[in-house]
Amino acid sequence: MRVLVVDNGGQWTHREWRVLRYLKVDTRIVPNTTPFEELGEVDALVLSGGAPNVGSETARMGNNGQYLDRADFPILGICAGMHFMAIHLGGSTGPAVRAEFGRTRLFVDQADELFSGLPGQFDVWESHNDEVKTIPEGFEVLAHSDTCPVEAMRSLRRPLYAVQFHPEVENTEFGEDIFRNFLKVVEEWHR
Amino acid sequence: MFDSQVFVEEKVAEMRERIPGKAVIACSGGVDSTVAAVLVDRAIGERLLTVYVDTGLMRQGETEHVRGTFDKLGLHYKMVEAGQEFFAALKGHTDPERKRKAIGERFIRVFEREAKAFGAEFLVQGTIAPDWIESGDGVRDTIKSHHNVGGLPKDMSLKLVEPLWDLYKDEVRQVARHLRVEVSERQPFPGPALAIRVIGEADEESVRVVREACAIVEQELEAASEKGAMVRPWQYFAVLLPVQSVGVQGDRRAYGRTVAIRSVESVDGMTAAFSRIPYDVLERISLRITNEMKANVNRVVYDITHKPPATIEWE
Repeated sequence: MRVLVVDNGGQWTHREWRVLRYLKVDTRIVPNTTPFEELGEVDALVLSGGAPNVGSETARMGNNGQYLDRADFPILGICAGMHFMAIHLGGSTGPAVRAEFGRTRLFVDQADELFSGLPGQFDVWESHNDEVKTIPEGFEVLAHSDTCPVEAMRSLRRPLYAVQFHPEVENTEFGEDIFRNFLKVVEEWHR
Repeated sequence: MFDSQVFVEEKVAEMRERIPGKAVIACSGGVDSTVAAVLVDRAIGERLLTVYVDTGLMRQGETEHVRGTFDKLGLHYKMVEAGQEFFAALKGHTDPERKRKAIGERFIRVFEREAKAFGAEFLVQGTIAPDWIESGDGVRDTIKSHHNVGGLPKDMSLKLVEPLWDLYKDEVRQVARHLRVEVSERQPFPGPALAIRVIGEADEESVRVVREACAIVEQELEAASEKGAMVRPWQYFAVLLPVQSVGVQGDRRAYGRTVAIRSVESVDGMTAAFSRIPYDVLERISLRITNEMKANVNRVVYDITHKPPATIEWE
C-alpha cells in the first residue's frame, strides 16, 4: 500500500511519515505544491497540519484543492488539512472559541471506521487556533471535545476523513490505532 | 517498527561512500552526536576526528565525563577549550534566536579551524529530526533555530554529513543500545547548553548559577528515581529567570533571583507532558536551591506546561 503525506508545513508532518512507516506502508513526504498527476500511483493521502490560517492563506495550502477534487481514493486531513477540507468542500472555519494546546479529552460520537475498537473517550494532543465551524454538506461529525464541537468528521459520499487533533504524536492515546483504522478503510476501498 | 541493525548496516555503508577523505565530527558526548561518531568511526576509522568543544556552557563535571566516554569508546578525539570565545559571542544578546545563532556560528568557526588543522573537508553532525523540523524551512515556521541547522552561518565551507537526519531520540537510543554505547540513556542536553537556561544575557556568572541549580535538580531527581519514589523523567533541569522577588532570610530582607524547575515526559521531544514529581521531591529541590544558593536565589517555581503550547527548554 502506498500512502503519501502532503506537507503543509506542520511540526508533525514527519511524525505522520514515521507512523505510516512503522505500520509497514510504502510512504513518502511530498510538498503540497506537487501537481496531482505527479503524485503517481497512490492508494491514499494524508494532508498534514501546518501553520497557515487556512481561511486567509489558501495560497500556502498549495494543491490540496486539486487533490480533494480529483482523488478517487481515501484522504485523511489533519488539523490545517481538516480546515482546508472543510472550506474547500463548502463548510467553514474560524477562530476557535477556545484554542486547544496539549492534552484534551476526546469524546467519540460515531465509533465505526476511524474510531473502531477504541474507547468512547480518551486523551488526545492538540495544537490549534482555528476550528471547523460548519461541516460540508454530506459530512457527519465523528467526535468532539468539551470546547470544540468538530474534533473529527467524514464524508458520507466519498472516503474523506479528517481530525482536528493529532493522532501522529506519541502523547495522543490510540493514535497508531486511528492510523491503522484509516489504513483498513483504504484497503477496503481498493478491494 | 524501527530496525536498528538494518539502520546501522545501511548507514555505515553509506558513510563509507559519502566520505572519501577526512572528516571531523561535532560531538558533545550526548546520545545523538556520540552515536553519529561511533557510526562514522566504524565507516572511516582514523580518518574521523571527534571534536568536543568546551563552550564554558556545559554542566557540572561534563567535560571530564565526556572524556571518559570517548576513551572507553576508543575514539580518535580532541577536546577544545573555547569558553571565552563563546561568552564574547553571547555578550549583550538577550533574544533567544540571536543567542542560538551566535552559538551556532561559534561552533562552526571552531570546527572550521579544527578541520583545517586535520585536513578534513567534511563535518559530521548528530542532527536528528526535531532539529531541522523546529529550525523551520520554506514551509515550516521557525520555532527555534537549532544551533546545528538554523544556527549555521551562511558562509560555512565544510560539507555537512548528517546520518541521523530522519531519526527521533527514541530511535537514536535504540541505535545506541545496539552499538552498546553507554550514553544511550543520558537525558537530552541541547547544543546551546546552559546559555538557553539563562533567560536573558548568558554571562559567566549567570551560567555558573544555573549550572549549580541544574546539578541540584539532576541529583535529587536521580536519587528519588533510584529509591523508587518516581520514574526518572525524560528531561529535567533548572532555568534561571530574569525575575527578582522579595524574601526573608534570617530576619533580613532578601531580593534574589528565581529558578524554575522543568521536568517532562516525552518519547521523541516533539510533544511532552510535565512530570508529576512527588511534592516531597520538589520540596527537597526547593530547599537545597534556596539554602545552598542563598546568595543568588530565594524563590523556586515548578513549570507545569505541556508541549505544546510550551517547548521543553524555555528558549
